[in-house]
Amino acid sequence: MTNASSVLPEVSLGARRVVRPGRVLTTLGRVTRRGLEGIGALTRFTARTLEAVRDVRTWGPLATLHMRRVGVDSLPIGLFIAVFTGIVLSLLASYSFTGAVPLYFVGTLVEKTITMELAPVLTALVLAGRVGANIAAELGTMRVTEQIDALETLGYDPHAYLVVPRVLSGVVMFPVVVGAAMMLGVASGWIASIGLLDLSSADFVKGVRLFFSAFDIRYGLVKSASFGLMVTLIGSIRGLRASGGAEGVGRAATSAVVYSAVLILLLDAFWAITWLLGSER
Amino acid sequence: MKRSNDLLVGAIVLLVVLTLTGATLWVKQTDIGERRSKVVARFRDVGNARVGNAVVIRGVRAGTIEAIELARGGWVHVRMNLDRSMQLPSGPVVLLNESSLFGEWQATITPRSALPHDETVQAQVSESSGGGEVLPGAILPDIAKLTAVAGQIAGDVANVAGRVEVAFDERAARELRSSIRNFADLSTTLNHTVRTHAGDLDTLSRGLQSAVKSLNQTAASAAQIAGRVDSSSSSGEIRQIVDDMSHAAAELRRTSAQVRAMSEQLSATQSRLDAFLTNGDSVLVKLNSGQGSLGLLLNDPSLYHNSDSLLTQLRGLVTEVRTNPKKFVSVRIF
Repeated sequence: MTNASSVLPEVSLGARRVVRPGRVLTTLGRVTRRGLEGIGALTRFTARTLEAVRDVRTWGPLATLHMRRVGVDSLPIGLFIAVFTGIVLSLLASYSFTGAVPLYFVGTLVEKTITMELAPVLTALVLAGRVGANIAAELGTMRVTEQIDALETLGYDPHAYLVVPRVLSGVVMFPVVVGAAMMLGVASGWIASIGLLDLSSADFVKGVRLFFSAFDIRYGLVKSASFGLMVTLIGSIRGLRASGGAEGVGRAATSAVVYSAVLILLLDAFWAITWLLGSER
Repeated sequence: MKRSNDLLVGAIVLLVVLTLTGATLWVKQTDIGERRSKVVARFRDVGNARVGNAVVIRGVRAGTIEAIELARGGWVHVRMNLDRSMQLPSGPVVLLNESSLFGEWQATITPRSALPHDETVQAQVSESSGGGEVLPGAILPDIAKLTAVAGQIAGDVANVAGRVEVAFDERAARELRSSIRNFADLSTTLNHTVRTHAGDLDTLSRGLQSAVKSLNQTAASAAQIAGRVDSSSSSGEIRQIVDDMSHAAAELRRTSAQVRAMSEQLSATQSRLDAFLTNGDSVLVKLNSGQGSLGLLLNDPSLYHNSDSLLTQLRGLVTEVRTNPKKFVSVRIF
């Protein structure tokens, strides 16, 4: 139990605390140094991974195994999200278009939003939790149990053996999952529009075709490939740098998900700025 | 295990890639196997028309714009693919226009005779004609251009309004007010004048109407008479009419003799009446001058008074006789 007399001296002490300019600068410098270290570590890690790609004999036999884990096993959750996203989006669009905008624009909005934004980003966020955390936990466990050291002792390159197949499976299978999510998302929006809205199938298709461009698909798939690269890289780097036993593995998995989510959104903005801004297709 | 992974991953990847490609081609309505006919039109400018926009013939979607490319001579060639079953109208012209307010464009293939009566469009079509198999094309102004023109007009109107505001100062307003007042007075005067002369005009109009009516009737009668004369002369009735007229003249002569005799008798009667009146007049003169008994009776007032007094007394006597007859009559039988 805390009484007033015990609190007041702390407050007065806190009030007398002087903020020194040197401490602020130190904090700023530390944050900057850590950021640069992170970028540097990621760059070095990426460079080593690219270098390890040449070692096909090491990662080749493992590629399809990881593709199945990253892609095929992630399909159900990715498609589940896509179905409900399509339904909600069509209803939301019809709600927003009341009166002023023709209802067939529901098709346009569903197609554009699903293919260019929601399918890649939502699927990537979900896979960041599923795949990124899985990779970080797996590699972290191997690190803290010194299995990676054993691999190195046996002459295996951990990057070629552990990182490259995971990263490649992320780059290849994320677009596959996202592509399936795109189709199912638009299809569910289509069915929802016919079943729940006063919109005919022909009108929905007309709306989809109105402003459809193959670029929409290309943009979504390239974006999802970059998300796959980022999620698997972050998961791998956090896992390989894990330390401190089971607790360290947990921290690695958590930070992998957090960093992956943040970087997915940053990459999303990056692609939008570099590819959409001022582009004329 | 490894083999099953390979199979599963390969199947999934292939399935997704094929489905996605198929869906994209279907949505884009891509012409696989060249099952559609190609039509190219040339324009100076294509506005906001894009690849994939609809091509419409008589309001029915007939295909899509396949490509838009720059060509020699400052032209833009628009290549369209159409359903093979579609028949182009005679003298086809391609118009690019907005199909909705939401930036949607379309290419409309229409016969030259159905072009809008717009000089700009006609000029564009004339200019782009003569390209061989390349159809002539024209672009209709989009909403943005129309809005820009409307904005320009609004600016001009605002400018004019500003100038009017400058020119229309207080003095001008006073003068205008005075002019309006004068105009109102003038209007009242005119109104009064018109009302005054409206009756005359009505009368004149009625007179004219009546005169015209009479003239019409006269003309009709004249025509009727002419007709009758014509028919009479043609049927030999004139002789009969002349005979009737001579008979009527004889009758008139006889009647006039009778009238003459009656006139003589009337003349004698008038002489006698004159004599009677002369005698009557002399009698009346005598009466007025008081000559004779009757003249005295008429002209002497004393006689009148006496007679009146006598009548009064007689009336009193008669009254008394009625009230008391025994006073004057005494009848005794025995």
